[in-house]
Amino acid sequence: HFWTDSSPAGCSHVNGYKVDNWRQNLRVIYQCFVWSGTAETRRRKAKSCICHMCGAHLNRLHSCLYCVFFGCFTKKHIHEHAKNKRHNLAIDLLYGGIYCFVCQDYIYDKDMEQIAKEEQRKVFGLLSDCSVSVHSTGIGEKYTTWEPTKRELELFRHNPKRRKITTNCTIGLRGLINLGNTCFMNCIVQALTHTPLLRDFFLSDRHKCEMQSNSCLVCEMSQLFQEFYSGHRSPHIPFRLLHLVWTHARHLAGYEQQDAHEFLIAALDVLHRHYDNGKKTNNPNHCNCIIDQIFTGGLQSDVTCQVCHGVSTTIDPFWDISLDLPGSPTPFWPLSPGGDGSTVNGENHLSGSTTLTDCLRRFTRPEHLGSNAKIKCGGCHSYQESTKQLTMKKLPIVACFHLKRFEHSAKLRRKITTYVSFPLELDMTPFMASSKESRVNGQYQQSVDVLNNDNKYSLFAVVNHQGTLESGHYTSFIRQHKDQWFKCDDAIITKASIKDVLDSEGYLLFYHKQFLEYE
Amino acid sequence: MNKEARLKATINQKLTETGERERLKELLRAKLTECGWKDQMKAQCKEVIKEKGLEHVTVEDLVVEITPKGRALVPDSVKKELLQRIRAFLTQHAS
Repeated sequence: HFWTDSSPAGCSHVNGYKVDNWRQNLRVIYQCFVWSGTAETRRRKAKSCICHMCGAHLNRLHSCLYCVFFGCFTKKHIHEHAKNKRHNLAIDLLYGGIYCFVCQDYIYDKDMEQIAKEEQRKVFGLLSDCSVSVHSTGIGEKYTTWEPTKRELELFRHNPKRRKITTNCTIGLRGLINLGNTCFMNCIVQALTHTPLLRDFFLSDRHKCEMQSNSCLVCEMSQLFQEFYSGHRSPHIPFRLLHLVWTHARHLAGYEQQDAHEFLIAALDVLHRHYDNGKKTNNPNHCNCIIDQIFTGGLQSDVTCQVCHGVSTTIDPFWDISLDLPGSPTPFWPLSPGGDGSTVNGENHLSGSTTLTDCLRRFTRPEHLGSNAKIKCGGCHSYQESTKQLTMKKLPIVACFHLKRFEHSAKLRRKITTYVSFPLELDMTPFMASSKESRVNGQYQQSVDVLNNDNKYSLFAVVNHQGTLESGHYTSFIRQHKDQWFKCDDAIITKASIKDVLDSEGYLLFYHKQFLEYE
Repeated sequence: MNKEARLKATINQKLTETGERERLKELLRAKLTECGWKDQMKAQCKEVIKEKGLEHVTVEDLVVEITPKGRALVPDSVKKELLQRIRAFLTQHAS
């Protein structure tokens, strides 16, 4: 009951101030001394905003509203002025709040608040083109606290039931009925509904559908989030989702067991396509849909000519990183224990076991392309042998690692069950294009820059496959709140320990960036 | 004003004139929100309001109660980063 639809608490003592041209005077005070937007006002503020009694610029400086006087609040210099001159109103130069010395508290007069808001908004627009890219939520406005509209207040009153999210509540968890070998779809749905940014996007109703038919997968995804967060504990039956998937990704239709990784890519692809109802086809490289914002990273490929050492670089978008495992036909070079990187990520280094970091190191190693695969070198103007190296140019907010366990070579089809240990927290810095460059220049430092949190990730979902290629079953582990893990086996959800998760075989690993930078 | 106070005032003037003060404030706001400090302070404020009673509590009560806690709870990494930024700025504008 903090909010009422009457005006915020003002006081009658402002009436003495609200005469003549008071609005314009107040605006000038805000523009010059509180939120100085131009170089001129800033210079004036720098020079004149000091306490008239002691010269200090800190100590919660206030300006008298009735005359030109600046005084410290902390040292009570403004209070003295108010008493002596009987000027009962002052403004806080830090936050713009109005203080009434009669009420002895800050007051919130509706008219004055309105002026304050307008002046603040003006200045924030001017700050936008500065070098520090600190903006708001990206909608182009400064972050302000939410205040309900009349309609929203009505809705609140007519719907008195409230849901409180405590640390151990299970909202967002729901089982999924298996509709006939659809566990490959169920485990991906679990991973997606527990992707924090995706969840926030859909629960804030950010999708405005322009598709005429009922076949928008983004709408269905939105519905799915509503189902998961409804509080219903009975398992959900995703028949509509399955039908839409069959419609839009024909290669996945049918009741046979499909590959969960293929389903993930197909689902992301359809969501990405449906997002703007195909409008983006005009500009596929500059899509700003939620899928691209969350999942798209940039993979840099450097091909170095062995003769002239010229480098040809391309950057391709990716939604996932597929990693080869030891035991696959292509040779895997296990790195010596204690090699750089794996201790950084604190992985479970049982003697001889492969770690995710090993796989990533292998993925980003320079590879000699051999004499059968010569590349035409732009520098040499002829075909030369070269090395190729992959590194991460741009990291996605959610990184999905696909451990290539299913081998479909000409000779045989089999599943590679080698245990790969993966960490709870992952630092991608060693695999970045920028790290590679500084290594090449001899500047690579082993110690990770403490302040650079950009490349740190936390595990939040794991998809596992049990069984063989012919008959198998998919389950997933997902993370709820900060430290709680649950195992999702179609309709059955059980609590799991971190050990259960980290000991599992791992097929698809979902990591989320720990720190998000503003655009 | 003694020498130290004059130095502080000069630095403050330069920061304000160039708009760097506002940029640093926005950066600090973002960092303190990210690390959950802002939510911690909000929770502390709620405690104080409960204690004093909604009808009687003043902004001053809140300021007095949570300022020391707020100062103590700022993460070292945030302090480090801001200091680095200020140092970089001063180096740039040294005269």
